[in-house]
Amino acid sequence: MNIAWKEIKKSKVKFMILGSIVFLVSFLTFIISGLANGLSQDNAALIKDLPDGQFYMNEDAEETYNLSLIDPNTQKAALNEHDGAAALSIQMGFLNDEADKQRSVAFVTSTESELFENVQAGEIVLDRSLEEEGLKVGDILTNNQFSGEFTVKGFVDQQKYSHAPVAFINMENYKEMYRVNEMQLIFIPDGGETPVIDGLQSFTNSEFLNTIPSYSAEQLSLNMIVWFLVVISGLLFAIFFYMMNVQKIGLYGILKAIGVKTSALFKMMWTQMFFITAIALALSIALSQSFNFIAPDGMPFSLTAVTTVQLSIVFLLIGFVGATLSGIQIKKVEPLQAIQQGEV
Amino acid sequence: MTIFTINELRKTFTTGEVAEEILKGIDLTLQQGEITALVGASGSGKSTLLTIAAGLQPASDGKILFNGRNMTSMNQEQIRKIRASDFGFVFQSAHLVPFLTVEEQLFLMLEVSETTLNKVQQKKEIADILKLIGMEHRKSAYPASLSGGERQRVAIARAIIHKPQMLFADEPTASLDSKRSKDVMELIRDLTKTLNITTLMVTHDEEMLAYADHIITMKDGLAE
Ligand SMILES: Nc1ncnc2c1ncn2[C@@H]1O[C@H](COP(=O)(O)OP(=O)(O)OP(=O)(O)O)[C@@H](O)[C@H]1O
Ligand SMILES: [Mg+2]
Repeated sequence: MNIAWKEIKKSKVKFMILGSIVFLVSFLTFIISGLANGLSQDNAALIKDLPDGQFYMNEDAEETYNLSLIDPNTQKAALNEHDGAAALSIQMGFLNDEADKQRSVAFVTSTESELFENVQAGEIVLDRSLEEEGLKVGDILTNNQFSGEFTVKGFVDQQKYSHAPVAFINMENYKEMYRVNEMQLIFIPDGGETPVIDGLQSFTNSEFLNTIPSYSAEQLSLNMIVWFLVVISGLLFAIFFYMMNVQKIGLYGILKAIGVKTSALFKMMWTQMFFITAIALALSIALSQSFNFIAPDGMPFSLTAVTTVQLSIVFLLIGFVGATLSGIQIKKVEPLQAIQQGEV
Repeated sequence: MTIFTINELRKTFTTGEVAEEILKGIDLTLQQGEITALVGASGSGKSTLLTIAAGLQPASDGKILFNGRNMTSMNQEQIRKIRASDFGFVFQSAHLVPFLTVEEQLFLMLEVSETTLNKVQQKKEIADILKLIGMEHRKSAYPASLSGGERQRVAIARAIIHKPQMLFADEPTASLDSKRSKDVMELIRDLTKTLNITTLMVTHDEEMLAYADHIITMKDGLAE
């Protein structure tokens, strides 16, 4: 006979309250982590979606890519030597459309590479979000630092940098607009070991992301919130299971007195905990995934299956630890306690 | 035939600095199939003796022999096994499991005692005992909806459903009126006689002594 299940059936309300607490904290955690991830995509999809590899910038750029100017000879040697390597530059700027409406974008240019859009002079490839704002292929765009015009050649998905849509332009146009001849960065996809290049400092993708001040600050606070929520929910679980167990000390005493094994009592508690947590998690996964779809367009929300599964496992583990810690009382219960306690 | 022997049993409770010896060397022998009543003034240590004999708390000194095996030298798990399959208990209040129906209480007890009966036999066994205690019409009821007497009858059924060798009862009729008390005592007597169960019972009630084969009086920590 499954006494764990019998108790749930008889004390539905008690278990529903516990379940709803688990549901609320896990749902909140899913949403916040979806927002954190969404913001991070919005901030740096351009970099985040690259394969693993190394970024290089000038040693005296003080880890600020904007200050980095890579010597053309070094660049040439590096690109020759490493398969798939590319030099690139990123600059924040503005584009004016035909109605003279100004939009802020991140101009990106690179040497010939599969990792970045390569465009002809006078052409421009934009992030899809600008298409949603009404721009079309063939539209003419201008920039006040640029003598010519850009013709929209196409759109690409998920290319964002510093919360702005990316605009891929030709290197010649870039050099004219920003009056430089050097590129800021070299990216070498991972070929096993980290190549050392004289005069350049290397960064992994995530190290590079963290050199962008807005990115690291933003992610730090959001991740902090997520982990606080996880810790708080752990405490909540433990406290709830504790209170439930305290309430049930008499019951545990009776069961022990008639000869039920302590291990069977633990099993009973774990079964209940897994059952409640699984249902609550299923519900909050379903809801947070539908939030993925109904989230307003402008809201950067991205909750991947991997994150959801990871967090769910963390919640199950926390529930397990919380229940087990509070269940140490079960071990201590003396059968006599229940008998001397009077009516149950 | 002697089934249960208590030898020089002592129990000392220590509360703070004060140690008080409640049982001062109890000797007691129980014969199979007989009912032994423990009487004595309140505080004389009847419940203490009963719970120690039933393996619910340890003795300070002395020996308890059940079927020739010394219980005072057993570990927790060995005692649990004996409690589960060879002992039954009835206490002043019923102590039923609140979320199980009358029928389920009995199923649980059979399961805990690791019964060798199959499901069909278990069902029949339970139906029989429910009839015996006059509760077959309430088999799907939860403890909260039973009267005090009904609960006590279910507790008795739970104490003997697994056919234990020993039944320990601590004032089983204390919460019942005199008519119900008699019914319950007759039930205990009939069941223990048919199943050849040995009973040790605490009672305050003079009338109940009529059902006992032996009466032992406790006084000043000793049994007379
Ligand atoms: N766990 C304990 N700790 C300390 N003292 C205890 C404990 N249990 C019982 N006592 C003491 O032991 C004495 C005997 O108690 P016990 O319950 O055995 O008496 P009793 O004969 O059953 O009395 P009653 O007829 O009132 O039920 C009492 O003085 C009681 O206070
Ligand atoms: Mg007593």
